[in-house]
Amino acid sequence: MLFSAPMGPESVYAKNPDFIQRNVAGECILVPIHRRLPDRNSIYVLNETGAEVWNRLDGRVPLRAVIDDVHGLYDVAREQLHRDVVTLMTDLLSIQAIEEVSVAHGPTG
Amino acid sequence: MVRQDKLRHLPDRFPLACQWELTCRCNLHCVMCYTDCFNRPERIREELGTEEIFRIMDELADAGTLELCLTGGEPLARQDFFTLYDHAVRLGFLVTVFTNGTLIREDEADHFVKLPPQRIEISLHASTPEGFDRVTQCQGSYRRCLDAIELLRARRIPLVLKTTALTLNRHDILTIKSRVDRFEGTRFQLGEDLRPELDGGDGPFRYALSRDELDALHAEDPALQREACARSRPDTSPCRSGLHRFHIDAVGRLQLCSGNRRSSYDLRSGSFREGFFEALPTFACQWKRPQDQELSHPSKTNHGTVSHV
Repeated sequence: MLFSAPMGPESVYAKNPDFIQRNVAGECILVPIHRRLPDRNSIYVLNETGAEVWNRLDGRVPLRAVIDDVHGLYDVAREQLHRDVVTLMTDLLSIQAIEEVSVAHGPTG
Repeated sequence: MVRQDKLRHLPDRFPLACQWELTCRCNLHCVMCYTDCFNRPERIREELGTEEIFRIMDELADAGTLELCLTGGEPLARQDFFTLYDHAVRLGFLVTVFTNGTLIREDEADHFVKLPPQRIEISLHASTPEGFDRVTQCQGSYRRCLDAIELLRARRIPLVLKTTALTLNRHDILTIKSRVDRFEGTRFQLGEDLRPELDGGDGPFRYALSRDELDALHAEDPALQREACARSRPDTSPCRSGLHRFHIDAVGRLQLCSGNRRSSYDLRSGSFREGFFEALPTFACQWKRPQDQELSHPSKTNHGTVSHV
């Protein structure tokens, strides 16, 4: 199983604006700035792949498309990338750096 | 994704940490203060304005600066302090505030809750109103400082309480320390370095403890003794000032550190990147002797030492 429920391939995620993204010495850093966040005195460093995923989380694109897009950048097995992304998304959800966005399905008027 | 307290991998020269003296204005007049000589209207009028500070902060963020210490003078004495502070936090700096605490009331403490700093460091000079006000030369400062500490502790803002060792509070230092040690999650820090005033005056050194007095003080407390022993080990590592750390003064001059202002780069007329990467490496650090690496002011070695940022 590539995605663990409820993190499905069509799930859409948005960044929490209480996390500030910084580029420091070539590293992608997430800095939490709001009191209500669980661990405000830590910073979070994303590796290169993690930063590519983070940069694509715009509240509109489904996770499947994010992975497809990132897969085109690296010479990596798709299953391995899936596993890595699921781990990353789980971590980001746990620190509330992202949240799942409700997306309407079906016919639209 | 890795959770960290600090960045581990940096180039040899990278503008990671800034100490920014936002103003020399202060509502107190501490006897050992090195900026109070510039706490004058004509000097304060020359200080950076809000928009200038915004512009320089933006340049620091763009260059990758992560740690930002806002100090003074008393930074909260600026009418626009929270405008500047909020801008800094929202840019993603890890912000530390050095303050005397006396301007922090309920509203200010609540503001720090909404957008918390990494920590606030407050100077706590004595354990009695009389002793405290003797250092600050302002009546009522003790009560206001203690009130601020209580307000911030109640809101779980990370605090460091600092005491500068002086002839005026020598007898009181261990009492202050024991009180702070009882505050859960609050760290005590003893400062032993005095600096000449920014205009070159040596007023602060009139209150310096002698080497023997400091040694006797350390001997009375195991933690102070441990710290003194750690400091006494020869430091053979290169000074990091100008490599990963730098200082900006109240009128926007970029310097190696707050203790070395002989050379400056004017951020009012030049860019931060040019200042840090091109000008700063040309600044001399004459207070660092190549032989023993001791950081000491050449003309003040009998009175006190000067430490780098």
